[in-house]
Amino acid sequence: MSLELDIQFERFTLDNGLRVIFSRDPTSPVVAVNLWYNVGSKNERPGRTGFAHLFEHMMFQGSANVPETAHFAYIEKAGGSLNGSTWLDRTNYYETVPSHYLELALWLESDRLGYLLPAMTQEKLDNQRDVVKNERRWRVDNQPYGDWDERVQALLYPPEHPYHHSVIGSMEDLDAASLQDVEQFFRTYYAPNNAVLTLCGDFDPVSARELIARYFGTLPRGPEIPPLPGRIEVPSKLGEARREVIEQDITLPRIYASYRIAPYGSDAFYPAIVAAHVLGDGKSALLYRELVRSGLAQDVFAFPFPIVLGAAVMVTWTTANPGTTAERLEKALRDATAKLEQVDAQDVERAIHLIEASRLMDLQQVEERADALSMYETLFGDPGRINTELNRIRQVTAGDVRGFADEYLGSDNRVVLVYVPKVGE
Amino acid sequence: MSTLDRSQAPAPARVHPFTFPEVQRSRLANGLELFTARHGTVPLATARIVLDAGVTREPAELGGVAHLVAHTIDAGTTHKDAERLSWELELLGAQLEVSTGFDATAISVTAATDRMPQALALLCEMVTEARFPEAEVKRVRTEQLGEIEQRRSDPRSLASDQAIRFMYGSESVYGRSALGSVETVQRLTVGDVRSFYHDRYAPGKAALILVGALDGAAIDTAHECLSRWSSQPAPVSAPNYGPSVTSARVHIIDRTGSVQSEIRLGHAGPSRADPDYFALQVVNSILGGAFTSRLNLNLREKQGFTYGVRSQFAFRRGPGPFIISTAVASEVTARAIEETLREVDLLSADGPTEEELQNTIDYLTGIMPLELQTTDQLAGKLSELFVYGLSDDYFATYRSRIAAVTREDALRAGRQHIKRVLFTYVVVGDPGGIEEPLKSLGIGPVEVHSANE
Repeated sequence: MSLELDIQFERFTLDNGLRVIFSRDPTSPVVAVNLWYNVGSKNERPGRTGFAHLFEHMMFQGSANVPETAHFAYIEKAGGSLNGSTWLDRTNYYETVPSHYLELALWLESDRLGYLLPAMTQEKLDNQRDVVKNERRWRVDNQPYGDWDERVQALLYPPEHPYHHSVIGSMEDLDAASLQDVEQFFRTYYAPNNAVLTLCGDFDPVSARELIARYFGTLPRGPEIPPLPGRIEVPSKLGEARREVIEQDITLPRIYASYRIAPYGSDAFYPAIVAAHVLGDGKSALLYRELVRSGLAQDVFAFPFPIVLGAAVMVTWTTANPGTTAERLEKALRDATAKLEQVDAQDVERAIHLIEASRLMDLQQVEERADALSMYETLFGDPGRINTELNRIRQVTAGDVRGFADEYLGSDNRVVLVYVPKVGE
Repeated sequence: MSTLDRSQAPAPARVHPFTFPEVQRSRLANGLELFTARHGTVPLATARIVLDAGVTREPAELGGVAHLVAHTIDAGTTHKDAERLSWELELLGAQLEVSTGFDATAISVTAATDRMPQALALLCEMVTEARFPEAEVKRVRTEQLGEIEQRRSDPRSLASDQAIRFMYGSESVYGRSALGSVETVQRLTVGDVRSFYHDRYAPGKAALILVGALDGAAIDTAHECLSRWSSQPAPVSAPNYGPSVTSARVHIIDRTGSVQSEIRLGHAGPSRADPDYFALQVVNSILGGAFTSRLNLNLREKQGFTYGVRSQFAFRRGPGPFIISTAVASEVTARAIEETLREVDLLSADGPTEEELQNTIDYLTGIMPLELQTTDQLAGKLSELFVYGLSDDYFATYRSRIAAVTREDALRAGRQHIKRVLFTYVVVGDPGGIEEPLKSLGIGPVEVHSANE
């Protein structure tokens, strides 16, 4: 096999607990700066759903030495790109800049990690609350099928599980968020000992180490991170089928079938990755052959959520062609998925080759490499997984995929959403 | 160490120079243009065939045929059926990507370097020996009809589609969706597909762009299989861009129950060849192209009306649209448009400040290497050389041409190419709370339409 990944990196930890990863690649004169904080919607307490994400927005509102909106302005003037994102397990912040602006990026990131609170005001919170509520309308409430992940999470995890609620949260909880919440959340979770900083691209490691010591090394370690709210242990399977029919202002039915699977990082997760590609990647994929080539559907998707607490999710979905009823499509999706129990070695080889290529495509960009290194360190304490994950995927056999299908994709572990057009219109 | 002064942004270090990847350009005997560039450190390559087979080459009554041809290009060849083609490609791990634009159609594969010769041979086979079996064409046509339906129920797509429809009118090729309409797509036959392919997929009007970690084997394969390609392009007539809109109008598309209004406003803009292209990159970035644009800082960061607002010139061979897009809470629809127009007027009156101009030049010139990291990104850039007939040194000189834009250039180009008196406004939302406030704005006559018009 010629596709051995060998991404070089080094890792060290500052006295305040900040973990730092360096990965040099001088191909292009750019450097990615990427920070993962080990906080996400999993940490939200009842009544404050959506807060981790709202907080992420506040991180762009300036800090003690950085005026409001200046974070974006500085990076754009530098010729860089930047953003942040919040998910179930984490919140990340990143910028890619021309190499000579590395210090600027470190200054900005360290100022908000060290000195966010002096810049927080009620006016900024109210403004970003409105922005996030509009984000919710745009992604979820005004978007066909836009609430599917919220529904899947609620059905697949018990109410006390940290993944029971969505990242975007409810309008009501967003309305309830206060400046005190901002302060408390910051003091609890935004500390060097709860973060990973990765640099990837064209930079000098000796001077970068000095800069990091100067900008980040001077920040104090935070208190111990409190345990997650709720309860992460769940039975490995749902134990029953759950189903919801949702009427929306749509013209074509769509079916989502989701399953509770082993958490990301566990040995049992790797067959799920391969199974998803066997099912949904490309025109020779099982679901494509059975549902799209047959003329019933116009698209198929299958992917596992890479999440680590207790159990992860495998989701599949398909959208009807005009003329296909929801009932027919639901049955066809179920029957097609069941054929996963008959996959052969060639189906698995095809899936693995597609995974290899898409992995290479992702890793061309320094920002993707940096994000992967931060992720592997945050979730598993092992950035080397950026090179070794592919080998674990390659070891998956057709027997493993059949075993996975048999174990997890049955009717005792399935959540189905059936989206149908509203009647009477 | 303790003397660290955080109060000032650190100054930049010494610049690490960036040079645009070296591009080799040649032409096969059959007319096919060949662009190759070695790029990146990952063992991956992209091959893209660019064809003069975009939407502007469709006869009006065959709207959607360019898309249908491109999406059935892998439906079978002289030697292989659809299932075999996709199986062979995917067993190589190759990713096939098809895109149909107004000016061109592109068909690409990306694969690991050692699998690229085989992937490239399959790409060539599909593009040069496509057969279009009837059953596959009919199946994909049904999918295309499904996609058209989907766009009608998605407020974002609905707003964009209706905006160009009202901006250009039904006569104009730019008023159409690249997918075509239900009426035209339903009538497309296998004969239409085969004849569009026969007329437009020809080496004399095509380019192969090959980028990435290339080895001799991939380049040899390309020469060998594409040299045999011999079809001749049919003559084309000038596209009909339709009459110019001469007054502002407001169109509400009824989506009762919407909690947001999807807003589009704009008009036909300049072509890709317009000498103001560079000045307009700067103007657009300041108005609504960057995160820190005037529109985003006002509508998002100041007012909290929206998750985001963007403006864009879609530069094409003809007068592509200039469009401002946003989605706002229903109750602030009219106020959001009012604020948008305030920003348009301000920029038109005074132009950018010296500081804004410099910041924007820095942004547009600095961002270039970031956007050229992948083989796919570079292949996309090189396609522009072919499609728009740009000079060989175009990308090498791009940054200096952006840097040469002055405040006067920006002011003049902005005034000339953004004219609010000609704006078409499309609002997809619940007419209940928005119709009266929109009428009160006095920006033009307001009409309410059904989504299925």
